[in-house]
Amino acid sequence: MKVSLSAQNVVKRYGGVVALADGNLDVESGEVVAFLGANGSGKSTLSKIVTGVVAPDEGTVLLDGQPVTFPSPQTAKKAGVTAVYQELSLIPDMTVAENIWLGHEPLQFGLRVNKAEVRRRTEALLALFAGTYHESLQPDAPVGALPPDEKQLVEILKALSLEPRLMILDEATASLDGRQVNRLFELIADWKKRDMAIVFVSHRMDEIMRVADRATVLRNGRTIGSRVIAETTEQELVEMMIEAGEAVPHHREAIAAEGQPAGVRLSVRQLRTSVLQGIDLTVRDGELLGIGGLQGQGQADLLLAVFGAIPFSGEITLSGQNVHFTHPRQAMQQDVAFVPGDRANEGLLLRRSILENFQLPSWRKYGFPLKINSARADATTTADELSLVRESLDAPVSSLSGGNAQKVVIGKWLLRTPNLLLLNDPTKGVDVGAKGEFYNLLVELRQQGTAILFYSSDDDELLGLCDRVLVLHDGRITAKLSGESLTHAELVTASMGTMQENGT
Amino acid sequence: MNTTFQKITLRHPYLFALGLLVIALGVNFYLQPNLFEQRVLSGNLRIFLPLMILTAGQAIVIMGGGLDLSVGTMVSMVNAILVTWITRESTGAEIATAIAVGASAGMLAGLFNGLCVSYLRLQPIVTTYATSFIYAGVALWILPRPGGLMPSELTKFYRSNPAGIPLMIWVAALLILLWVGLRGTRYGRYMFAVGGQAEAAYATGVPVSLMRLSTYVIAGLMAAFAALALTLSTGTGDPRIGDAMTLPSIVAVVLGGTRLSGGQGGIAGSLIGVVILGTIRNIISFADVPTWWQTFVDASIIIVALAAPGLIRLIRRRQTQL
Amino acid sequence: MKTTDLKALILYPPLLALLLAIILFFVGGIVRPGFANLNQAINIVRLAAFLGIIAAGQTLVIISGGEGIDLSVGAVVTLGAIIVFRIVDGDNSMVLPALGACLAAGAAIGLLNGLGVTAIGIPPLVMTLGMAGVVQGIILVVTQGELIGGPAPIMSTLISRPLVWEIPGVVIIWLLVGLIMWAVLERTTYGKQLFAVGVNRTTARLSGVRTPLIVLATFTLSGMLAALGGFMVLGFTGSVFLNLGDRYLFPSIAAVVVGGTVLAGGAGSYWGTMSGALVLTLITSLLTALQLPESYRLMVLGVILLVLLSVYGRQRGLRQ
Repeated sequence: MKVSLSAQNVVKRYGGVVALADGNLDVESGEVVAFLGANGSGKSTLSKIVTGVVAPDEGTVLLDGQPVTFPSPQTAKKAGVTAVYQELSLIPDMTVAENIWLGHEPLQFGLRVNKAEVRRRTEALLALFAGTYHESLQPDAPVGALPPDEKQLVEILKALSLEPRLMILDEATASLDGRQVNRLFELIADWKKRDMAIVFVSHRMDEIMRVADRATVLRNGRTIGSRVIAETTEQELVEMMIEAGEAVPHHREAIAAEGQPAGVRLSVRQLRTSVLQGIDLTVRDGELLGIGGLQGQGQADLLLAVFGAIPFSGEITLSGQNVHFTHPRQAMQQDVAFVPGDRANEGLLLRRSILENFQLPSWRKYGFPLKINSARADATTTADELSLVRESLDAPVSSLSGGNAQKVVIGKWLLRTPNLLLLNDPTKGVDVGAKGEFYNLLVELRQQGTAILFYSSDDDELLGLCDRVLVLHDGRITAKLSGESLTHAELVTASMGTMQENGT
Repeated sequence: MNTTFQKITLRHPYLFALGLLVIALGVNFYLQPNLFEQRVLSGNLRIFLPLMILTAGQAIVIMGGGLDLSVGTMVSMVNAILVTWITRESTGAEIATAIAVGASAGMLAGLFNGLCVSYLRLQPIVTTYATSFIYAGVALWILPRPGGLMPSELTKFYRSNPAGIPLMIWVAALLILLWVGLRGTRYGRYMFAVGGQAEAAYATGVPVSLMRLSTYVIAGLMAAFAALALTLSTGTGDPRIGDAMTLPSIVAVVLGGTRLSGGQGGIAGSLIGVVILGTIRNIISFADVPTWWQTFVDASIIIVALAAPGLIRLIRRRQTQL
Repeated sequence: MKTTDLKALILYPPLLALLLAIILFFVGGIVRPGFANLNQAINIVRLAAFLGIIAAGQTLVIISGGEGIDLSVGAVVTLGAIIVFRIVDGDNSMVLPALGACLAAGAAIGLLNGLGVTAIGIPPLVMTLGMAGVVQGIILVVTQGELIGGPAPIMSTLISRPLVWEIPGVVIIWLLVGLIMWAVLERTTYGKQLFAVGVNRTTARLSGVRTPLIVLATFTLSGMLAALGGFMVLGFTGSVFLNLGDRYLFPSIAAVVVGGTVLAGGAGSYWGTMSGALVLTLITSLLTALQLPESYRLMVLGVILLVLLSVYGRQRGLRQ
């Protein structure tokens, strides 16, 4: 059944802030429309309006040519409009099957859940992604035990189980690895043939160029325009997203060759955790060592182990001394810093002030009773160095935009001038402008002699920023790439390990 | 990985409680060899039954992510109603009406709790503690002094053994049966979803507020039935009779393997938890523990029982690190 | 001051609670003539001081988050009072050792609570509830039902008699406690880390905070402050009985909530609890002064608490 959706001149205000000034989006059966925009562009607001999560202040939404209003996500779903978000809507203690069918379980006699039918249908759904997940992903596996990429698969299947006519994938590929993305795109091609309309919201330019037919760009709450993918370039789309046409290079920082190799800051031998199978590596002062590979291959474990946040076995030498940290506090005292990727849950105290967030690791330095003025002065210096846009240091950190919040997360460590900086996928979900500032910061730190160990799920970042890249697969290093061998092709091959992959 | 262990404990949360029960019964039997005789067993079960029914209701609230600290005073309130309405001369119809009124009062109290928690969005612990004062006040207002007498037919019925099996067993079996049925419906899944992760449930379209409300109403109804059992058991009324039942109802649920945070668990474990608590009391009195020590020993055993799952986890974690 | 600053100041929960307390005081004067005079005011503040000191520990525990709550304070108050009663036995020179023993006992109970919560993972509600039973058991074992002993004269001089101008000693002590609490919460590393632990334990840990230690210290402090409260109550009443502390348990929680400290943790202040203690003491005093039968008193208390919670304790809705 054909479907078409048209959002026209949609306006949304939150108190005094205009989140959406003139939002427009058109999509119809058989096409994939990519929806692009920097953080704060109004992109997520528009998609929430279309799926009934938020009510618009002005404007029209036409479904199949008829004006509609969705007072709740439920009404949107009943009309065939479903979204898959990055913020998970899964219940950890319930099984995969229970989560997928929650609210629309097949019933016997209108009362009891038909368990056999639930199982059968769940298996059919899981079969769509066969070969891209571990065998532990069964209909009766508790969702809480699954890794992030499999949780995202369950989210996608949950949306599919509603048999939508229009599906919105909002950053749905952020947690997926290469194989899963490939399979998803194959499925999308199939869904297009069955007259499904798809809106693909993403920051990953390469995926957009691969899967989308058209792209609609939002900037500062207005729809700037639409382009047919086959007739445009990445550069043009990025320029539409950023103001004043100043395209921040997505990557490609030229790394100048250094003179003398500096001393080794970190040396790791035979590091083992529940996921890692024996890792050896060294990082020198002023070196930016990248860690790559598919999601969940142990990259986070590596960083957390060095930081003392998880138990491990193996030898770690820091600044020439053998260490075995059992708590982040010990690592901090040896000038190690850790920047998490999930800043809301791991990097920030949302309800507290910017000042408190900046100084959280460092209060001890300010004596007893705390010299607050001194703390404030130090924080102000760092905030200015990072060009942090803020009202005052006493404002809650939740009042900051995504890019600025990320500055606080890294700022609290910069205040301590670390020797070794560990970064766990820090630019995930950060928009292009803020990413650029972040890259400049990393290059600057590198030039000042900080040793940096950097995990990123974005291959382009690794290629553009790092001197060397170690690729992890199944808890082992499968490749050490540098210089001539540091190419996209090599990275991808090493990421896939020894597995067979058909098609790209 | 530990997914099989997780799966088993998720499906059958009462296994640990069962183990504890076996140990407790063993010790009790050692101290009181006639424990399993018909007369003694029936006597014990008769005392446990009101708390069992009450705990079933508390378990539903807890699994739905809440907590009800007013269940005990609801029992007092309904007890006051029953005892005031029913006298030795009451006809069958009057008795039935009285029970209906009591059940309605329980449900209304539960509804009030539920509205405060779900729609006014007040924190469950402090709120139900506040409403417990209200129900205690109502109980005192209806029945200022202990008194009243239940007709002997009813109290005899309570002690009867239909088809040779004590009434309590029938009731417990009925509770478990109702639970198994409930668990298999969409309502049961909604309840676990709301208790497990309310935001995710909401995003999935589960009517979260309505679900929470319904769990409190069920708890109120269970409190009313618990009051009925208690009234038939003691044969008389007391405006404070149920107040002390609240805390044991919570402890029994936790002992039974249901997490206080909600989202998992079951009724069977909670019922076993009640029996464990009662057995501990028996053990203390039969072990000739000096009177002044009894409270201390009772409370300490409860803490140890509550700590046991955590201690086991701690020990297992140390082992995997070695 | 700009109007926005003024508005923020007025909506500041502790101040709002203080305003409420003052309103209640004068309402009492209307409903029951003779209620609103200076003597009564001093009396109210004095009564509130005991609750306030006991609720100080509760404030810390609730700020620490993780569903933190201390349901053992009532029993610990009683324990503290009984220990002092026994050791002092009317002898002034034994007051300091008695205070020491009392604080040590409170700290020990708090430490056990903290260990149960951090090392074994028992939820605070259940742990402190269970501990309350254990403490009651300890009280029975220690006293065997006989309450021998006596307070020292110096205690009642210091605590219940007027010390400076007309102000009773306990109020001055309470103000001191208030200042110390402010300093602890806002000017020590412990305080900053406590708020962090209450907001987000993962972030706290990844920023070097030793969360278990903070939680342990918090429960220990709560036990100590409750025991101190018991010492104070004894100085005022001069006698002990087995359920002395029970009447302070729920009001201690309510005072914290009314004062603007969020039950989920991570935000709050002791000034708020102090105002909350005043509010709660006023309510109970008013109800006593009205001489209602107990059934009405209980019902009215419950309703008033619900109303207060509706104003102060509403949680975030799911729809944003």
